[in-house]
Amino acid sequence: MPMPTPKERLLRTLAGEAHDRPPVICCGGMMNAATVEIAAGTVYLLPAAHCDGRLMAALAVDVHRCTGFENLGVPFDLTLEAELLGSEVDYGNAACEPRVVREAFPSAGAVIRDSVDSLLGHPRVRALTDAVRRLSAAHAHLPVIANIAGPISTAASAVDPLAFFKGMAREEHATHRVLDLVCEVLEEHARRLVAAGATVVCIGDPTATGEILGPHRFAEFALPRLSRLVAAVRSAGAPVIVHICGDITAVRHLLPEMRADALSTDAKVSLGALKREFPGIRTVGNVSTQLLEFGPPERVARQVQRLLAEGVDVVAPACGLSASTPLTHIRALTDAVKLGRPLYRNERC
Amino acid sequence: MAEQREHLFGQLSDAVVAMDVEQAQALSRAAVEHGLDAGEAMEQGLADGMHRAGIRYERQEYFIPELLLCSDAMYAGLEVLRPHMSNSHCRRRGTVVIGVVEGDTHDIGKNLVKIMLEAAGFEVHDLGRDVSARRFVDRTMEVGADILALSTLMTTTMPRMQDVLMLLQQEGHRHRVRVLVGGGPVSQAFADRIGADGYAPNASAAARAAIALAARPASPRPADE
Repeated sequence: MPMPTPKERLLRTLAGEAHDRPPVICCGGMMNAATVEIAAGTVYLLPAAHCDGRLMAALAVDVHRCTGFENLGVPFDLTLEAELLGSEVDYGNAACEPRVVREAFPSAGAVIRDSVDSLLGHPRVRALTDAVRRLSAAHAHLPVIANIAGPISTAASAVDPLAFFKGMAREEHATHRVLDLVCEVLEEHARRLVAAGATVVCIGDPTATGEILGPHRFAEFALPRLSRLVAAVRSAGAPVIVHICGDITAVRHLLPEMRADALSTDAKVSLGALKREFPGIRTVGNVSTQLLEFGPPERVARQVQRLLAEGVDVVAPACGLSASTPLTHIRALTDAVKLGRPLYRNERC
Repeated sequence: MAEQREHLFGQLSDAVVAMDVEQAQALSRAAVEHGLDAGEAMEQGLADGMHRAGIRYERQEYFIPELLLCSDAMYAGLEVLRPHMSNSHCRRRGTVVIGVVEGDTHDIGKNLVKIMLEAAGFEVHDLGRDVSARRFVDRTMEVGADILALSTLMTTTMPRMQDVLMLLQQEGHRHRVRVLVGGGPVSQAFADRIGADGYAPNASAAARAAIALAARPASPRPADE
């Protein structure tokens, strides 16, 4: 069997087919690896790359080359969806990711519906779609992972989060209405990214954690939308990775119902135990981002080897990387997967 | 009278646990009309309810929406009681400056901690979210805070907590304030690594940690400065 390309390896892994070894990826979006060390070594300075397809694509290629992650991942934040719904975003700089500084609506009841088409005409959506198109055209052997924010995270950054969470108990109808609107926008957004050439879609929904919602509200508000979004992406022809943050204990029994091709979790979750409990589930993760930041590389490599021994399907950082994570630590991660043993390099890209 | 007072405080506590804003207001008015100590009504009634809600949260019987609604009831009652608090013999436990570190605008957790700290009797200065190390240090010194509470939900912004501690250290203020850290990805190990004085995994625990920290006498001269 000829050596598979990274794209073939990831697709086979996500389809549950035989492969030579687990892929090692960093999805992008909220879990991007555009660290200061990389951004400082290139001319594609942040924050400009957040709003320009050409720069975004070029930075994604640099991240891939410098880190050894076997994918191209865009965008580099989790604010795009909230911004197109009207929230105000500060794009930050190389050391600080974009963040929502003011939500668009004070409560779920105050959300005004706009047409999906006009919302998706936002310049940042165009930049992201352009980046996906460029990357998939120029790098046929690499999987392009398009990242979107999940429905709960999007809704809770388009609506004031305090009001939104209270609304789950006090204005259920309006909350459902907002989540349906958000879901409709996200579905179409994802379809267009797949049409532009995205190999895989990663839905990051850190706010949809059981720690915040509890099992009943997760089942009532989050699960139906996540399932709907997963189904929409899969019917558009791309596999889906869903990332959920935090302790998943309260909702773990519900996770297989999303029917994602793979599930990515926080470092505190044992992926080995999750696989034993749900043998059908494929897992992505979950190298501690704290360990990645502080090292040393030997411990990063040991954690990777432990994950491989537990049978994790795709090795990846467990959550968002700190922008000050040293490249040598990231390389210890990717090398440990590719070589099955640690190899430390100090070179800069 | 004592029995009636205890009954009313119990009802106030129940109103908070039941997330009942109107009941919390009505019972607070009743407490004032009966000439009860407003501070005691807060402490043994409203705050007690918030404390019980926090326990339900830790047991995973309540989640964040319920805690927020309980706090609405607590604050609604507190609004009624506040004008009468000056006569109270209840004393503040200390002063806390709280905020979400720079780069992070997720403030639900911070807001919950603020609620539990206020319920525990602290005077809380809330700097909001996306707060620079400079602002944290300046405000801490300005109000003479006993405790500085730092929050972040994201792994990407955890290093900003260390920035605050370093700035305190650099300017020679580290020994003047106890630093408490928390938030989704934060752990005791991380708190130890950056040299924070305390860590709490949730809002109720944060209030307990703050009480313990406030009780510790501040060292007049640190060994490392």
